[in-house]
Amino acid sequence: MNEDNPRILVVDDELGMREGCRKILTAEGFEVETAEDGLAGLETFKRRPSFVAALVDLKMPRMGGIELIEKLRALDTDIVLLVITAYATIDTAVEATKRGAYGYIPKPFTPDELLLPIRNGLDRRALSIEAKRLREERERRLLELASERSKSNTIINCMTDGVFVVNREKQIVLRNAAAARIMPESAHVPLPAPLTVLTCAPLRDLLGETLDAGSGPLIVSKEIALDKCTYMVNVSPVLDPSGETSGAVTVLRDITALKKLETAKSMFVSMVAHEIKNPLAVIEGYLNVILTGIAGQDPKRDREMLQKSLLRARTLRTMVAELMNLTAMETGHFTIARSPIDIAKVTADAVEFTKEKARDKGIEVALDCDDQAASERVLADRDAMLSVFTNLIDNAIKYTPAHGRVGIRVEQNGMYVKVTVWDTGIGMAPEERDRAFDEFFRAKNEYTAKVPGTGLGLTIVKRLVDMHHGTITVITQRGKGSEFTVRLPKAEKAP
Amino acid sequence: MKPRPHIIMLVDDDPDFLEMNQHILEGAGYAVQCCADPQTALQKMAGQRPSLVVTDLMMKSLDAGFSFARQIKQHARLKDVPVVIVTAVSSQRGFDFRPRTADELAAMCADAFFEKPVAPETLLNKVRELLKSRDEEVKT
Repeated sequence: MNEDNPRILVVDDELGMREGCRKILTAEGFEVETAEDGLAGLETFKRRPSFVAALVDLKMPRMGGIELIEKLRALDTDIVLLVITAYATIDTAVEATKRGAYGYIPKPFTPDELLLPIRNGLDRRALSIEAKRLREERERRLLELASERSKSNTIINCMTDGVFVVNREKQIVLRNAAAARIMPESAHVPLPAPLTVLTCAPLRDLLGETLDAGSGPLIVSKEIALDKCTYMVNVSPVLDPSGETSGAVTVLRDITALKKLETAKSMFVSMVAHEIKNPLAVIEGYLNVILTGIAGQDPKRDREMLQKSLLRARTLRTMVAELMNLTAMETGHFTIARSPIDIAKVTADAVEFTKEKARDKGIEVALDCDDQAASERVLADRDAMLSVFTNLIDNAIKYTPAHGRVGIRVEQNGMYVKVTVWDTGIGMAPEERDRAFDEFFRAKNEYTAKVPGTGLGLTIVKRLVDMHHGTITVITQRGKGSEFTVRLPKAEKAP
Repeated sequence: MKPRPHIIMLVDDDPDFLEMNQHILEGAGYAVQCCADPQTALQKMAGQRPSLVVTDLMMKSLDAGFSFARQIKQHARLKDVPVVIVTAVSSQRGFDFRPRTADELAAMCADAFFEKPVAPETLLNKVRELLKSRDEEVKT
């Protein structure tokens, strides 16, 4: 017998009845199993419960039909339960129906009288199963939809950008947590809330205009200042299927940090422009005086002015080179290769580089290195360190009057090697010292006015030291001299 | 007797500007005094009153030239001395110092305003014009 044939359980204490049913039902393509009383019927069902229907006699030993029906119904909500009985009374029929029977077939019956209620019951069962399947599917969809919606809500609420939605009636119908934070004054107003709860007039106006604009997929962007912060506000209309505006979605992005960066950047650019314009104005001015002959003809004086122009042009070129270095450091294009280097040797090289300048001013440069420090290596980029110490020694010579003294001291200092560049020069006032490493800062006094400089040297020195995880500090006194101390991390000693 | 030349006070913290302007003005026959900062200039001017002042704007502070000009105009003996401001910072660092009207110029306590570098002829013409109108005022 085919496994897929619908199975029917026949439970009756009369063997003739059981076999009669089997004969009729098998001929109709059903697979039939039989049992002689309720208990046996229940056992049979439990062994393989995939029955589509059960025919149950009422009067049986051990377990009667009513009890069996009740038990089967509890085990299978869809099974078609039919009562077959010779003692059909209204009462038993009602009782059986109450317990879950679909109908009853009075004995004796013809094959058709048996089959018809079975067919009806099975049709109903199929319908009920289909309805149940649809219901389950619908519930699953609803569940998915609900979880989709809560997912979207969660996502919208987790966004750092403020989001709120306004309908055509100019009411706020949705806002996320960030929007409530950005506009705390309206955060506690229950939704939908009129646009007027927004205290930021530019925002209100922007929304009003977008909604009044009617149709069209126009997205409006505007920077709006709100409580010390700047927001980029994007308003995009929500269009209905006919293309009419049915509301607007507003996204507020905090661009305060970007704005600050932008301001700092344009400040820097205008600072650079000024620093370039000034020497160019000097050069142009001198050339003008010479070429117009307005101050008379004096070849010696003209030559002096040309020399001064040359000096300013050179300083300007140095400055442009330094600016390019600084930019490279900032954009990460300036790379250093750190390896264990002998810093005492590097400082000696730097002294050598600046020897001529020192000699011209009659300045003696003393190099002093303790034995222990001499054996230490620091982890650094040699070229970068040469540039750091050349710069510091060059500065020391520049800002020390003729016949003064400049010195370099290399010492051991815990995890660091400490290099001090000192001078007996003009020194700095406290407010000048505080700004010494700032871009373009130069102390302004009669002495420095005669010394060419870009105001970028120490900025670069500090950046380079920072890149090496070192530190640079300065002790200085106006009229007495300055002392720059660089600390660089030691290289691990080879085992 | 040859009249004594007008004394012009030049104030700028950049020695190159002092020098070039000194050449220009001396070439035109003026006596020139140079000063690197406004405070020293004021002290000198109190001793010897110049006929005109040409000053830089951004010296120790961004607006050192403005306060210098104001001090001159508030000074009992110096208030009639014309002040010419010459600067490279006219529209730098987000500021725009350039005066657009006579009122704005007066608000700066200045009689003329130029951007660096100013062409020698332009500077001399302005100096002559200011000295002439001042001389006329003195006569009337």
